[in-house]
Amino acid sequence: MALLAVENLEVVYSRAITAVHGVSLSVPQGAIVAVLGTNGAGKSTTLRAISGFLGLDDARVTEGRIRFDGQDIANLPPHRTAAMGIALVPEREKVFPNLTVAENLAAVPSPRPRALMDTVHDLFPRLAGLGRRTAGLLSGGERQMLAIAAGLMGAPRLLMVDELSLGLSPIATAELADSLRRIRRELGLTILLVEQSAAVALSIADHGYVLENGRVVLEGSAERLRGHPDVQEFYLGGSAGGRRSYRDVKQYRRSRRWYG
Amino acid sequence: MQFVVNVAVLGAIYALIACGYVLVYRVSRVLNLAHGELMMLGAYLLVATASGIGSPWAALGFAVALSLAVGVLVYLFLMRRMTGEMVLAAVLSTVALGIMIRGVVLLVWTASPQYPRAALGWDNPSLALPGGANISFFSALLIGVTAVVYAGLFVFLRHSRWGMRMRAAGQNPLLAAQRGINLHAVFALAWGLATFTGAMAGMLIALDSGLDATMVMIGLKAFPAALVGGLDSLVGALAGGLLVALVEVGVIRFVDPLLADVVPFLVLVAMLVIRPWGLFGTREELDRV
Ligand SMILES: Nc1ncnc2c1ncn2[C@@H]1O[C@H](COP(=O)(O)OP(=O)(O)O)[C@@H](O)[C@H]1O
Ligand SMILES: [Mg+2]
Repeated sequence: MALLAVENLEVVYSRAITAVHGVSLSVPQGAIVAVLGTNGAGKSTTLRAISGFLGLDDARVTEGRIRFDGQDIANLPPHRTAAMGIALVPEREKVFPNLTVAENLAAVPSPRPRALMDTVHDLFPRLAGLGRRTAGLLSGGERQMLAIAAGLMGAPRLLMVDELSLGLSPIATAELADSLRRIRRELGLTILLVEQSAAVALSIADHGYVLENGRVVLEGSAERLRGHPDVQEFYLGGSAGGRRSYRDVKQYRRSRRWYG
Repeated sequence: MQFVVNVAVLGAIYALIACGYVLVYRVSRVLNLAHGELMMLGAYLLVATASGIGSPWAALGFAVALSLAVGVLVYLFLMRRMTGEMVLAAVLSTVALGIMIRGVVLLVWTASPQYPRAALGWDNPSLALPGGANISFFSALLIGVTAVVYAGLFVFLRHSRWGMRMRAAGQNPLLAAQRGINLHAVFALAWGLATFTGAMAGMLIALDSGLDATMVMIGLKAFPAALVGGLDSLVGALAGGLLVALVEVGVIRFVDPLLADVVPFLVLVAMLVIRPWGLFGTREELDRV
């Protein structure tokens, strides 16, 4: 059985804007699953719906189900889903800038603070030396490490990372991708990853979903997606060469539906 | 010398009350406009326990514990619904809460002054200080309590996990919740601590000089102190309390005692013109409110 099963999810902002229309995802225990898609496709909204909204987001799951380990978690607040074992590393504002690195980690309610602190420092040795640094002064890569580390402090079973590589150098991205592989292998976590770079995502993930305009338009194993002509063309920079005309794009949009 | 003592006592009163405004504002961006009433309620709780419980220390301890509980209950039953919602609605409910508390106090204890110190059977000896100044025992105690409360709050916020969670929730409630921090617990704690420290101020003032419903005015005058300091800064509340007290005692001494009650608000207006984010506040806070 899948650890996380999202069925027919619909999310509405401000009672008016539907950002996600009937998305279904399945994340098996121990897998790394990637969600791909361009800006505004609904990737962040999907992850945030799983983690839970606060009133000030003015967002709601209006349709569908989100089941984690068999329990329905739709519309639970974030601290409840976190307590159940779901950690989200959000896209922006992922650390507390006025707290130090050590305080960012210590503030997380943790069942085993000492042991997990060791685990996290073993995973990200760089953070161990930065304990007293104010988190707001970290580089992008360090900030991402700290955010993942803070997520791990809560001893989650599912780690969700929104935009792993956004704004980071290829070296930092490769380092973080390695950390995610280790997190799955050594800690046995299940990972749900959002990425705009299909190359990065498909190098880590077992399985992927492509989202567009709030819908899943393509799904498959990482291998299948890597070889898929549409993914090659539109997400991996293309091999066919030359610019495509609008008609081709329309053709792509039409054909894409059949793969959903 | 007496001038310095008076500034210190009044500054300690304002600072002890002001830290409650700061605590609640810092974690939830809510201006608790019922803080003065909650402080007064704390003092009346002491009146109640003083007449109901034989041992004076037990009466004081019980009243202090009750005030902490009142703060937590106010959060759980009133403010909890507003968590993560519009700040304005929350501020308006504190106004309503304040009016309710004033009504209850008048109903239960009437408008006539109460003297919990007499009921507890305690003296309030005047202590002679070097330089010919005098300070009453409970005024000196109030300065001591303020120092202990501030030292305690600093250590708590800087070094305890719950203190870090309070700072985290104040910076980014959504991220705090995503990290598994229970915002309700953090806010309830902030309300409990704020009401507890405010009530301590109310009780000590009442023990020193008695109380009636006009005590709310003192709470109101501490609000400029918190604002002058910057509203999100404890150091600021301490400095703001002392500054407002200095100007107020100065005006009473050198200008006209009748002006005493307007001075804190004059200081506030002057501050808003010169440095709107307060002595120690963060400049960016201003955009967020
Ligand atoms: N807080 C919000 N209020 C209203 N609309 C929003 C909000 N957040 C996102 N949206 C809209 O929802 C859609 C999906 O956004 P998002 O999930 O952030 O996409 P992605 O992460 O794939 O870039 C977009 O059209 C965006 O404009
Ligand atoms: Mg996004």
